[in-house]
Amino acid sequence: MTTAVKTLVNQPYKYGFVTDIEADTIPRGLNEDIIRMISAKKNEPQFMLDFRLKAYGQWQKMTEPTWPHVTYPPINYQDIVYYSAPKQKKEQLNSLEEVDPTLLETFEKLGIPLSEQKRLGNVAVDAIFDSVSIATTFKEKLAEDGVIFCSISEALQEHPELVQKYLGSVVPVSDNYFTALNSAVFSDGSFVFIPKGVKCPMELSTYFRINNGDTGQFERTLIIAEEGASVSYLEGCTAPMYDSNQLHAAVVELVTLDNAEIKYSTVQNWYAGDEQGKGGIYNFVTKRGLCKGINSKISWTQVETGSAITWKYPSCVLVGDNSVGEFYSIALTNNLQQADTGTKMVHIGKNTRSTIISKGISAGNSQNSYRGLVKMGPKAAGARNYSQCDSMLIGDNAEANTFPYIQVDNHSAKVEHEASTSKIGEDRLFYFAQRGISEEDAVSMLVSGFCKDVLNELPMEFAAEADKLLSLKLEGTVG
Amino acid sequence: MNKSIITGTKEIELIRDSYLNKLLQQCEQQSLVKDDSIGNLLRQLRQQATYQVLESRLPTNKDEEWRFTDLSPLIEINFQLGEKSNMERNIHSNALEQFIIPEAKESRLVLINGIYTPEWSDVSGMCDNVYVGNITELSAPQKEKIEQYLGTIEERNSSGAEPCPLTALNTAGLNDVAVIWVNSNAVVEKPIHILHLSVGEETPYFSQPRTLVIGETSSSLELIEEYGTIGNNCAYLTNGVTEIWVQENASVKHTRIQRESEAGFHLGKSAIAQARDSRYTCTEVNLGAKLSRHNLEIYQRGEQTETYLNGLTVVGGEQLADTHSAVLLSKPHGTVNQLHKCIVDDSARTVFNGRVFVPKAAQQTDAAQLNRNLLLSPKARVNTKPELQITADDVKCSHGATISQLEADEVFYLRSRGLNERDACVLLIDAFASEILQRIPVPSLSEKLARCID
Repeated sequence: MTTAVKTLVNQPYKYGFVTDIEADTIPRGLNEDIIRMISAKKNEPQFMLDFRLKAYGQWQKMTEPTWPHVTYPPINYQDIVYYSAPKQKKEQLNSLEEVDPTLLETFEKLGIPLSEQKRLGNVAVDAIFDSVSIATTFKEKLAEDGVIFCSISEALQEHPELVQKYLGSVVPVSDNYFTALNSAVFSDGSFVFIPKGVKCPMELSTYFRINNGDTGQFERTLIIAEEGASVSYLEGCTAPMYDSNQLHAAVVELVTLDNAEIKYSTVQNWYAGDEQGKGGIYNFVTKRGLCKGINSKISWTQVETGSAITWKYPSCVLVGDNSVGEFYSIALTNNLQQADTGTKMVHIGKNTRSTIISKGISAGNSQNSYRGLVKMGPKAAGARNYSQCDSMLIGDNAEANTFPYIQVDNHSAKVEHEASTSKIGEDRLFYFAQRGISEEDAVSMLVSGFCKDVLNELPMEFAAEADKLLSLKLEGTVG
Repeated sequence: MNKSIITGTKEIELIRDSYLNKLLQQCEQQSLVKDDSIGNLLRQLRQQATYQVLESRLPTNKDEEWRFTDLSPLIEINFQLGEKSNMERNIHSNALEQFIIPEAKESRLVLINGIYTPEWSDVSGMCDNVYVGNITELSAPQKEKIEQYLGTIEERNSSGAEPCPLTALNTAGLNDVAVIWVNSNAVVEKPIHILHLSVGEETPYFSQPRTLVIGETSSSLELIEEYGTIGNNCAYLTNGVTEIWVQENASVKHTRIQRESEAGFHLGKSAIAQARDSRYTCTEVNLGAKLSRHNLEIYQRGEQTETYLNGLTVVGGEQLADTHSAVLLSKPHGTVNQLHKCIVDDSARTVFNGRVFVPKAAQQTDAAQLNRNLLLSPKARVNTKPELQITADDVKCSHGATISQLEADEVFYLRSRGLNERDACVLLIDAFASEILQRIPVPSLSEKLARCID
């Protein structure tokens, strides 16, 4: 490895700083009192507290899953701070000016300016800092079209009936160990409601930031698109560098009714730990979309570059006839990162279609697994699926695995699955070298070529950013 | 039950599953092992395996390996160990006719309920440099060497899955072993036919056939391993284990035919160890059994080993057929090529799990795997999981799976040429199956199987 390359590899994680801000933190640990305390702090309606307590009861009965192809020391759930909020001067904030300037600065530093005049383009942002939402931009402008975009705590105050109707309807509380935990302790997240026939006028996005070193982040996102509505939503995440591992267990639920469409994109860049694998976020996330109505569509796009461990399967349940599910993913692991990610496409309605394109890149000593399920139910006549999962290995200590499960209970269904594994060959690098292109540039071009199918699915501004992120993460892995 | 093994508190711990124990007890009651060197070896293996069975339980569909194949129907049946004494009366003299393969007429080894039956076997066509028979009649030098081959292939696979308790159960009941031993540099021209027959009794019974094949350096062998039954409608269980050693530069072409009756349960395991420069081809055809499972494990232990796996499963009615294959590479320049096809009709179900492990040392591996499934009825079901685990970076690995019904335009094309719908479908299904059947090196057998499928 050349020295130039080495300096590039050892580039510090750009978002690893800590914001020094006084925080309102509850004691460590988890019990019923903690849950009551979280609920009381957020002044939640009774149904929410019942929901949480029920979830807690179920969580206690469950055991942590062991089937993912990842290894980590046991997590002490009593050593996590389940709620931490930056102290605000006022209880109720009326405008952005009242937000603590330190916080605004933090987001500025992360490249997410919250003041509306500074925003480029057409993107509304909900900024979440540890356990609470700091601010949501363009709320009024969106409200003109009837679009509700706010934090979920706010939605609980202002639209409890919508939350009650849809919360837990896609991802049941007892779906898995981490959903039960999340349901019991989730603190904040985004809520989006697009009414009938409305095409959301701007991109919506949520930015997650973990700041406190002992906190786990448990956010909950709920997006509902009514008949004929459509929305494009993006989330981004970063965290400071700590030596200890932090838990991030989120739940995201999407619901589309007849002819509605949701496009959900993620650029995940949690702190991944250092070269020795010390520190980093455990990203254990359950994301699921329900295509409830006919002709509805849910599309997941994810670029996973951060986290020490990723355990994430954005899924589509295709109930409505002719509904469409899509999953485009790039998962990049370096050093000692571990990723077990993929999707589930559950076909229930007639003529449902799904596409899976997954690109895994593993470098260093990392482990990258694709785990997917395609299930064709007995009533899914004429259903179609096409899956492709390609892996690229950089260096001979990296590991790439694929575990695709295909279950077909219907003879008119058609499923195709392909997978391949390859590496960045000497011949390709040589070809670039011939043309005067440095090894570094060649690798980043080859990787973005490999990922093109997925990058094309991201909203334009983010595609460029994600592409840059990939090459940054990979710099110096060849040579 | 051997009380000396189990003492005190360990008792509860060890007996996790009474069902396997029940079968185990019967194995212990029936021991035909003699007091000679082979007898001692078998006794020692039985003893070790007994411990293993005691420590394990019958897999359930909570175990990842058995997620789609539920063995609970077995538990309802009280199987007795099939005995040799009462099998002769059930056999009609011409019952064997249907199993005879003209090419292997004089190279046939018959085992009934797992026990070598010389009066039905015919090995007159075999030359000196190959041994075909059972374990007790091996030559003295071979007897000395057999220890290193019998029951030693299986190792813990890299995914950490525990060794299968059913294989241990087979070893715990070892009474006889069919052995084929090809000396180095010998080329066996005639295919060798090993016929494992289950012969019926009035009550449910089980048998545990065992086969050991050794192809020494630079030898070449064609092997047909067949599982069948003669006239019984009573439930029975076959729990077979086959071990094949392919030494340096040797070649083994293995054809495995499973034609149990629809009352039968078939659990089979094939473990193959391949040394450097060896070639192994397996062509398996699964037609019978109410529930069948075949675990095919290949250990590539040398450089430039080649493995070719072909599989065809044809099921209908309420049948369930499961194939789990695993190829574990460990050295550079290995080749794996696998094609597994399933045709599923009525309410039948097939399961396929194909694994390829490519560790870091296995650079320049070329592995391709394809699973194709044809569903013929609305209630037919398929579960498939092609799996790749790769740590080496300079490799070419791919896998694919497809599931579909007969293409409407293909049927239409044939009908436009004047074929009726049924014939058109049969023709297309034949074509789908023949890709595998044509790879069987014995022509009469592939014709016979093609007729079975129609």
